[in-house]
Amino acid sequence: MLEIKNLQASINGTGILCGLSLQVNAGEVHAIMGPNGSGKSTLAQVIAGNDAYEVTGGSIRFNDSDLLEQAPEERARDGIFLGFQYPVEIPGVNNAYLLKAALNARRTNEDLDEVDAFEFLKLAKEKMAMLGMDPKFLNRGVNEGFSGGEKKRNEILQMAILEPRLAVLDETDSGLDIDALRSVANGINALRHPDRAIVLVTHYQRLLDYVEPDFVHVLSGGRIVRSGDKSLALQLEEKGYDWLREAANA
Amino acid sequence: MTSKLAMDALRHTVTGIPNDRLTPARLAALAQIDEQGLPTTAHEDWKYTDIGKLVETSNQWLADDSKGSPISDDLIESITTQFDASWLVIRNGVVDTESIDNFALKQVDVKLLTDTETDPGYEAPLSDLNLALLRDGITIQINASADENRTIGMLFIDSAIDEVGVSPMRINIDLDENSSASFIEYHASTGQRSHYANSVVDIALADNACAHYVRIQNRDLLHGQTARLTATLGNASQFRHGAFDFGGRLVRNDLDIRLTGRDSSVSFCGLYLAGEQQHIDNHTRVDHLVGPATSNQEYRGILAGGARCVWNGKAVVHSGADGTDADQANHNLLLSDSAEIDAKPELEIYADDVKCSHGTTIGQLDANALFYLRTRGLDEASARQLLTRAFAQKIVAMSPIESIQETISEMVAGRVEELIARGSK
Repeated sequence: MLEIKNLQASINGTGILCGLSLQVNAGEVHAIMGPNGSGKSTLAQVIAGNDAYEVTGGSIRFNDSDLLEQAPEERARDGIFLGFQYPVEIPGVNNAYLLKAALNARRTNEDLDEVDAFEFLKLAKEKMAMLGMDPKFLNRGVNEGFSGGEKKRNEILQMAILEPRLAVLDETDSGLDIDALRSVANGINALRHPDRAIVLVTHYQRLLDYVEPDFVHVLSGGRIVRSGDKSLALQLEEKGYDWLREAANA
Repeated sequence: MTSKLAMDALRHTVTGIPNDRLTPARLAALAQIDEQGLPTTAHEDWKYTDIGKLVETSNQWLADDSKGSPISDDLIESITTQFDASWLVIRNGVVDTESIDNFALKQVDVKLLTDTETDPGYEAPLSDLNLALLRDGITIQINASADENRTIGMLFIDSAIDEVGVSPMRINIDLDENSSASFIEYHASTGQRSHYANSVVDIALADNACAHYVRIQNRDLLHGQTARLTATLGNASQFRHGAFDFGGRLVRNDLDIRLTGRDSSVSFCGLYLAGEQQHIDNHTRVDHLVGPATSNQEYRGILAGGARCVWNGKAVVHSGADGTDADQANHNLLLSDSAEIDAKPELEIYADDVKCSHGTTIGQLDANALFYLRTRGLDEASARQLLTRAFAQKIVAMSPIESIQETISEMVAGRVEELIARGSK
C-alpha cells in the first residue's frame, strides 16, 4: 500500500530524513518510534504533503501512484489521513462544516453520493458516542478552545468518519489522560481492517498497550535503524534509545 | 498634489439653488470652504487619503451642470428587498419624497429637512461641501413607543451612466428618551463615469435611548465616497454600529462618537474588503466627555491586489471623564504582496481613573491552518476562502442587527470569492 524508498527531506535547508525506507501493507499496523528530533513528525508531514518540507530524494508510492506528485488534498481524497500532533485551531470554521466537507470530498473521489445533513449528523453522533465526545463539539469552531485531549479526540473523530485507507497518527497519545487514551485507542482499533493500514508515530510505548502493532520501527538520525515486532517497543521502554543510537553509529 | 476646488463654479451652483430655509446655512458653509479649503494630505487626519480625484469629479460635475443619470426602480428593489426594513430613498442626492409619503412605521416621524427647524450643523470641511450643495435632507424622529422590531432603511443610490455625478446627502436622526430603533444605511452606485457621494448623518440619542445601526457600502469600484456619521449619546444610552465596505474606488468614512451622558456605551465594528486599486479609509473617533462610560471597537480588513486601506481609531478621554473604559482593535489580512494597510490607534487621556487598551495586527493566512484543511480534502482555493471568510465572520457576528447578518454574510462570501479569484493582481 505504502512504499517509501530512500526518502530524503529537509526543512529550511536542514536535512531531517536521510534515506528512509518503509513498506506498509494493507491490514498492518506499524509503530514508528524514536527519540525527539529523529524525524518522526517530518515523516508524517511529508506523507501528508506539507510543502514546508522539501523532499530532496527518494520516492513514496501509494497504491501505484506517485504520492510526491500529489497535492495534500488529493492524497486526503485518496484515503490518506494525518492525525496531527498539534491540531490547528480554526476559529470561525464550524467543526461540523469541515467534517461534512471532508467526508463529501472523499466520497466524491470514490464515486459515492454526498451525504446530506441528516445522514451526516447521524454518522457523526454515532462516532462521537464511540469516542465519548459531547455532540456540542460539532457546533464549535474547529478545535477552538478545545483542551489538548479534546483536540486529539477530534482528530480521531475525523478519522473515524473519513475511514481512510492509510492513517498516519502523529503522537496522538501525547497529552492524554488514561480515559482519553482508552477512547482514542478504541477509535484506532475500530478502524483496523484487512483493507486499511495504520502508522502510529509515538515517543512512548504506552499507546501500544492498547493498539497492538504488527511492526515496530526505530527512527534515529533520519532513517530506520531497527525494525522488529512489538517486543522491540518493550525493549525500548526498558533501555531507552541510546543503545540503538550507539549500535547505529558503531 | 491635491486638485483645487473650482470656487467660482461652486459659488455659481450654490447661489443657483432656489431660496429656502437652508439658504443661509448653505452660504455660511460656502464661506467656510472659501476660507479653509478642503483637506489635503498635509492635514494629519488626511495623511494617507488624497481626495484629489473627488475634487476633480466635483469640478467636472460643476462645469457640466449635470443632474445625474436615471435609476430604475428594479435596481432599487433588488437592494431593498434583501432586507426587512422600511426604506427612505435618496437618488442622485435628491430625496425621493414619495418614499417619505409612503413611510408607514408607527411613532416615527419622517420629514424633509427644509420642513423642520433642525439645524443641519457643519463642523468638518467635507460636511461644509455637503451642506453648501445640499438640495434637501431628511429628519427622522423616533418616539418612545416606536415599534422596536422594525428597521428603518436609508438607501443612498447614485447613477453616473451618462454624466459625472456628485451627490450630497444628509440625514438627521433624533431618538427620544427611552426609544429604540434599528437603521440600515446602504450605499450603492452604478455607471462608468466618475461619481462622488458625500453623506452626512447626525444622530442624537436622548437618555436611555438605544440605536442599532449598520452601514453597508457597496458602490461601484469606479466611484468615490466620503461618509460622516456623528452620534451624540445621552445618559445610559446605547449605540451599536457595524460598518461594511465592499466597493468604492476611493472611500473615506468618518465615525464620530460623543459620549456626553453617564453610563452611556458605544460598541462598533467594521469590515473592509478591498482589492484592485481600491482605497478605503476608516477614521473613528470617540470622545469620552463624562464617565463612567464605555466604548469598544473592532475593525477587520481583508486586502487583495493593489488595495490600500487606512484604519485610524482615536479615543479621547477628556478631563473628568473618570470611569472610562475604552477598547479598540484592528486586524488585517493581506492576501497580496502589493496591498497596503496603514493602521493607527490613538489614545489621548486627560482623566485619571481610566481603562484603555488597543491592539493591531497585520498578517497573512495561517499556513498551518491552510495545510490542515487541505489534509482534510479541501482544495487550496476552498481552504483559502474558508479561512478568509472565517476571519471576516467575526465582524458579521458582532454586527448589531442580527436579522440581516446572514445577508451580509453572503455579501462577504461573494466579495471574498472575487478577491481570491483575482489573486495578487
